[in-house]
Amino acid sequence: MIKGRLTRTVTLLAASALTLGFAATGVGLSSAGAATATPGVTANSITIGATVPLSGIAVSYAEVSASANAVFNYINKHGGVNGRRIKYIRLDDCYNLAAFGLGCTAGPSTTTLSQTQVLVAQDHVFATVGSLGTAAQDSVLSYMKTNGVPQLFVNSGSSDWSQPSTYPNLFGFQASYQVEGKVFAQYIKTHDKGKSVGFIGQNDDFGAGGYAGLVNGGINIASDNHLSYNAADAVTGSISDIATDVSTLQSNGAKVVVLDSIPAFTSAILATAHQDGYSPQWIISSVGSDPISVNSPYEANAITFDSLPATNDKSNPWTPWLRSIILADKTDFPKFTAKSPMDGNMQYGAAFAVAFAETLKAEGKTVTRAGFVKTLESTKLATLTITPLQYSKSNHQGVLGGVIANISPNGSAAPIYFNEPSHVVYTTGNSKNTPIKTLPYVVSPIPAWLK
Amino acid sequence: MNFLKSLRVQETTRARLLSVSVLTIVALAISFLLPPVADSQMAGGAAITIVILGLSWLIGWSGQISLGNSGFMAVGAYAAGIWAHHHATTPLIFTFLLATVAGALSGLIIAIPSTRLRGPYLAGMTLAFSAAITPLAQNFTSVTGGEGGLFLNSLSTPSWFVHFFSGPNATIDANAQWTADLAVLVAGISFFLMANLFHSRTGRAMRLVRDNDVAAELVGINLGRTRTLAFVVAASFAGLGGALYTVINATVTPQTFPLTLSITLLTLMVLGGIGTLSGAVIGGIIYAFSANLVDHINALTGVNPTSNLGANMQGIIFGALLILTMIFAPRGIAGMGAAVQRLRKTRRSALASSSAVD
Repeated sequence: MIKGRLTRTVTLLAASALTLGFAATGVGLSSAGAATATPGVTANSITIGATVPLSGIAVSYAEVSASANAVFNYINKHGGVNGRRIKYIRLDDCYNLAAFGLGCTAGPSTTTLSQTQVLVAQDHVFATVGSLGTAAQDSVLSYMKTNGVPQLFVNSGSSDWSQPSTYPNLFGFQASYQVEGKVFAQYIKTHDKGKSVGFIGQNDDFGAGGYAGLVNGGINIASDNHLSYNAADAVTGSISDIATDVSTLQSNGAKVVVLDSIPAFTSAILATAHQDGYSPQWIISSVGSDPISVNSPYEANAITFDSLPATNDKSNPWTPWLRSIILADKTDFPKFTAKSPMDGNMQYGAAFAVAFAETLKAEGKTVTRAGFVKTLESTKLATLTITPLQYSKSNHQGVLGGVIANISPNGSAAPIYFNEPSHVVYTTGNSKNTPIKTLPYVVSPIPAWLK
Repeated sequence: MNFLKSLRVQETTRARLLSVSVLTIVALAISFLLPPVADSQMAGGAAITIVILGLSWLIGWSGQISLGNSGFMAVGAYAAGIWAHHHATTPLIFTFLLATVAGALSGLIIAIPSTRLRGPYLAGMTLAFSAAITPLAQNFTSVTGGEGGLFLNSLSTPSWFVHFFSGPNATIDANAQWTADLAVLVAGISFFLMANLFHSRTGRAMRLVRDNDVAAELVGINLGRTRTLAFVVAASFAGLGGALYTVINATVTPQTFPLTLSITLLTLMVLGGIGTLSGAVIGGIIYAFSANLVDHINALTGVNPTSNLGANMQGIIFGALLILTMIFAPRGIAGMGAAVQRLRKTRRSALASSSAVD
């Protein structure tokens, strides 16, 4: 008897809940007026977002999106783009390693996917712009595609971002790790001919891509010199993988070591090697070489790759422009002073922010996702990059080349700066057979409306 | 007589089916009321519920401690991920079955040595298993995608379902809803299967082995086989939960299955109620919405969520809850409801007897 009553009550509850549920959906149906509107876009604003590491192991990259935000705020103060203010929502995803702690303050259950869901399904962003991390952004590829939200200027050199037929709304920003690896290969063949080469890479598409580039560029790396680390392993505090990797390369006698590592790991590798008395020629991916982020005295004389102007290049108009923007409104960089050094992260963030604003301006007053993508594929963008930024229907990678730079100590004390001895920009394709070519070093003028 | 007995069994199974269906429908209805982000959280909670069902069965019903369930979950997740990565068009049900079998097999492999161990030795053995899974996934890069993992196609929402939604975000809302509903459905089916298992002959044998293994052997129960079976069942549920987690997130990475996940699962199970079916659901709900709870508490107390204290709030709250639960409600939140009911019953009967005296 009691059981029967219970069942009846529960059934009633279920039925009413269902009715309520559909009624709620019905409310949605009746407000169908805005069916053609583009999510995130109103007459006077456009909302975009990004998932970025604002804490945790990759926190040094927090400056990238902060710099982009500073540029957007500057544009907003000058009337926005076609009358629309850009609202940039940055959510901390801790490089998708929140579960491991590592100084993450976003909560242990935070993932890149969960934060992206907040941006897409709650904040209704027009697109994500400048979300960061190879593995992190790989994890939301399907989600972004299924929901039709453009994933723009992913901060990573994986070639995953240039698959226009599979992911038409996905765009990378920097040169691919394969291209970087091939350019490094050419450098090694010229300057360190015949020396034994070692490699330590992050155990994801970052390390895999860079290694493939070196091999395609004709560098022979013995299998016991091909080493990797897992970013999540920093949880142990001792970063044990790295200690083993470094001592392996030392005992194998590697004279040149290529690093595809993020700044925290670059720094740890350099320190470990110094401790062990091991000083090979370091060649470091642009992703992990920014001297201010790495903040290590042992990085001097390392070789790196750079698609942005040297941070101390006073002749480049973008450098004082960005500096004045940051100094005028210090919300994003409260500790930045007239004497503070500019770093590569700041340039990077400003570069894609300008690219986004320019595309938005070129698209005109009516903004749609399809229209934006089409405009992006057909507009030559004037931004900080030292090669023209020109996407197309087949190229969604972004920048296609860069210079070889070395890192030189500025006197005896830090900071150390990139030094670009020759203004020769190298470019190539991902595959083995595409030769390396040179491009002119281009300094794009600052568009009048941004001055 | 025999006929009557079988009838009764059928009746209870039917009653179980009815109540599980009703519960599932309620959950589905709730998903319609929730915003899309909460729907996505609900989907994750449903997957975890399945894992906790298995864990609750293993620990609560068979009395064997396991810290390896994040490992079993990872096995199922990778089985589903690797299969779906290469065979995108396979029906979902096949992917789920495959992952369940893979989970069961890993459970069998772990169970064979494990069932000879007890207490802390067993815990250590299973802990080693879940600790080994992450490096395995990280290092067999050609199969598992290394640290970057594998990514799959997101679930495709049927167009008839999208028609229920409107506005510029209709597809986004529909996708989140569809994913949550599918997850709830799979959890509902798992719940029904486990409910039957709890009340089956095997379930009873399991409890006897837990409470008195000598008595169990005396009545002809094979201890080793029964304990092994407990592991296999728990691991298959964990495998299915892992597969569901992979499918709803359209990705599988080693970072999803840190060692701490096993501890989290254990905590959730204790909070919900060890060895209870509803406890698993409660655990799943806590998993799904704990971040919201933490945000809420941070906001209430004015703690900066990115401060050291704020960032560790989840650990603090769950640690405190766990201690309180162990002291005041050893059978968890689910047990609390039952305890209150028992209390009311005793009081009612006490009242009745006192009136009889009058």
